[in-house]
Amino acid sequence: MNDLRLRLGQNLGLLLAIGLFLLFWLVYNGLHPKGFSTAVLIQNANESFVIGAVAMAQTVPVLAGGLDLSVGAVMTLVNCLASVLVNGSGWQMVLGILVCLAAGTLAGWVNGAVVVYGRIQPIIATLATGAVYIGIALFIRPTPGGEVDGDLSWALTNDVYEFCATYGLFDDGEAAWLAPFAWIPMPMAIMLLVIFLIWIPFRNSVTGRGVYAIGSSEGAAYMSGVRIDRCKIAAFTLAGFFAGLGGLYLALQTSSGNADVPQAGAYTLNSIAAVVIGGTSLMGGSGGAICSLIGAMVIRAISFNFRIFDIAPLLQPLFEGIVLLGAVSIGAARVFRVKNRLELLG
Amino acid sequence: MTNMVRRTALAAAAAMALLVGVHGAQAAGPEIVEGPGYLPECFAPWDADTKFMKWEAKEGPYRIALVNGFVGNTWRIQMIQTAKVYAESPGIKEKIKEFKIVSTGTDAAAQLGAIEDFINQGFDAIVTIAVSPEGFDRVIRLADRNGVVIVPFDNTLDTDKVMQVNEDQYQMGKMSGEFLVKEMGKTSGKILEVRGVPGNSVDRDRHQGLRDALEAAGDFEVVEIVGNWDTGTSQKATADALAVHGRFDGIFTQGGSDGTVRALMDAGHPFVPIAGEGENGFRKQIAQHAKDGLKGLSYGQSPGLAAISIKAAIAALEGNTMPQMISVPIPVADYTNLKDGENYWSDLTDNFFTPNEFPPCDVNIKAVDIMAKTAENVE
Repeated sequence: MNDLRLRLGQNLGLLLAIGLFLLFWLVYNGLHPKGFSTAVLIQNANESFVIGAVAMAQTVPVLAGGLDLSVGAVMTLVNCLASVLVNGSGWQMVLGILVCLAAGTLAGWVNGAVVVYGRIQPIIATLATGAVYIGIALFIRPTPGGEVDGDLSWALTNDVYEFCATYGLFDDGEAAWLAPFAWIPMPMAIMLLVIFLIWIPFRNSVTGRGVYAIGSSEGAAYMSGVRIDRCKIAAFTLAGFFAGLGGLYLALQTSSGNADVPQAGAYTLNSIAAVVIGGTSLMGGSGGAICSLIGAMVIRAISFNFRIFDIAPLLQPLFEGIVLLGAVSIGAARVFRVKNRLELLG
Repeated sequence: MTNMVRRTALAAAAAMALLVGVHGAQAAGPEIVEGPGYLPECFAPWDADTKFMKWEAKEGPYRIALVNGFVGNTWRIQMIQTAKVYAESPGIKEKIKEFKIVSTGTDAAAQLGAIEDFINQGFDAIVTIAVSPEGFDRVIRLADRNGVVIVPFDNTLDTDKVMQVNEDQYQMGKMSGEFLVKEMGKTSGKILEVRGVPGNSVDRDRHQGLRDALEAAGDFEVVEIVGNWDTGTSQKATADALAVHGRFDGIFTQGGSDGTVRALMDAGHPFVPIAGEGENGFRKQIAQHAKDGLKGLSYGQSPGLAAISIKAAIAALEGNTMPQMISVPIPVADYTNLKDGENYWSDLTDNFFTPNEFPPCDVNIKAVDIMAKTAENVE
């Protein structure tokens, strides 16, 4: 009982984010003419995937106590790369996808190396590398366009059934054992795979725990023998992978690439907002990628409602801002309850 | 190849089965038909090669959504206000059951998501300013399946699968070039070109039009600067160019035109022939200084395009034959025919776009009416 209460207390921010998401999302679905249908779920999942992936990317460096201002740029870079590579025969596409993910990971590793070996503040280092990545993206794709395989794009932006039907897997998706999963949107399935195969193993590894330790107190972590450099580089590298995944998915979703600079900036800013709403501390050391994913879903769910309710178009950004501000403030309200301010540092 | 065809067919069949299960109704998108189209004085085909499209007629009144991208400059705000007022004007009001506007920001995923959401909600038509000229394949596919008409305007798509509405940007550049040559009265000289946002198709086309007109007319030296269609940026860039180059014989400015003129006046540069956008401030300047040599031409990318796109969407839903690419006539005025209270307003602010109404299309919403009641429209 005490254990449960402790755990709930530690994850108050996350619980709040889940509550907010459910509130907005259930209201939206309740009033939507096709609410709670697969079509709506697919649309919602598609729209949330990229911002979710970029928010997860932002989380890992934040856990180690540094912001990554290049996540939007890495996403854009991989988006442009994918518009060149992800087409052709089956093997070419698989290779293209692997190269795209590797490019994102490499960009993240470079960030980590610059921060650790260049001894530069993460926020400045990634501001600079982000500009470089946008430059490369513009070089690859000076005007929007390119081509991503139409079948792949269609299959991965629909549900599991459609995916199997497109590629003739499991009796075209009609297999009886598949029925309970057939409705799951592919972006949701991919996200679950990434969480279970990459994020959770990373979090439980020595390196992953080292990242949390650095965020809590770098000095203490150093004195305890945590390999600071390796953990920091790992954190930025994983961020690069997540951001690359987002860029790859954006390419699939739009079947094209676009080195859109304002869009890259918007994604970076939204990723920080998602991290905060999800309950991850910007000081580092507490929270996680799943929290930020929920945070990203909250941001999206707010704007879903603009399509249902009649809110004056010019007031929508104001309304969204107020809701976000409210969400962040509630998360910060625990400051008022602590008896001793020192507890906040614990 | 056969494998791909089979796969595609399977996917299509499966998707249809799914959609029948979920949605019931079926539609296949527009048919390509022979012209001429409906109301050609308003919905003019882009060129001789433009295809014509015809959707299955639907019973009104319709549900229409406007999915805007970026919001935050005067043009976009004026566009939204025009769309709102138009949707409530007599003759149109009866045909629209519900009209929704959302702005998604410069985020392709959010804009595509919003369009798909409105398709899911069963809207009949969606007008949109695309944040990217590519990437709409999926929503176009879904729209065709559900019999939804998508109408991109202003920033259009690089596709011929949807009906689109725009003004001919190349023609704007060309008419500006020809006007300058005529007013300068010579076949050589130095011209200042203030360009728009780099990388944008509108900037590219206007630039090309100007250059083609100048090249055809003689031997001109053109100095290019970037003004981002913004009054402040344009003013600053022009001031720098005047400081470096001294004197120009003619000026073409793509936008933020009043800023260009202000820089000219601040530098004490004599007034020369100038062609630019449709800002009220720019037209005020031309009217005031034309006799001193500021012989100006003012064309306009009109925020009223939103209203024409709504009208086109309704016409398509009623089953009329429509051109795939609609060319809206360019509203243009020069120093000889500017008239206070008619195509510019000397007593109003500088920063709204004067050309807003299109009589051939029965779109009669004057900019001044909209910008005057901005406050109450926001409610």
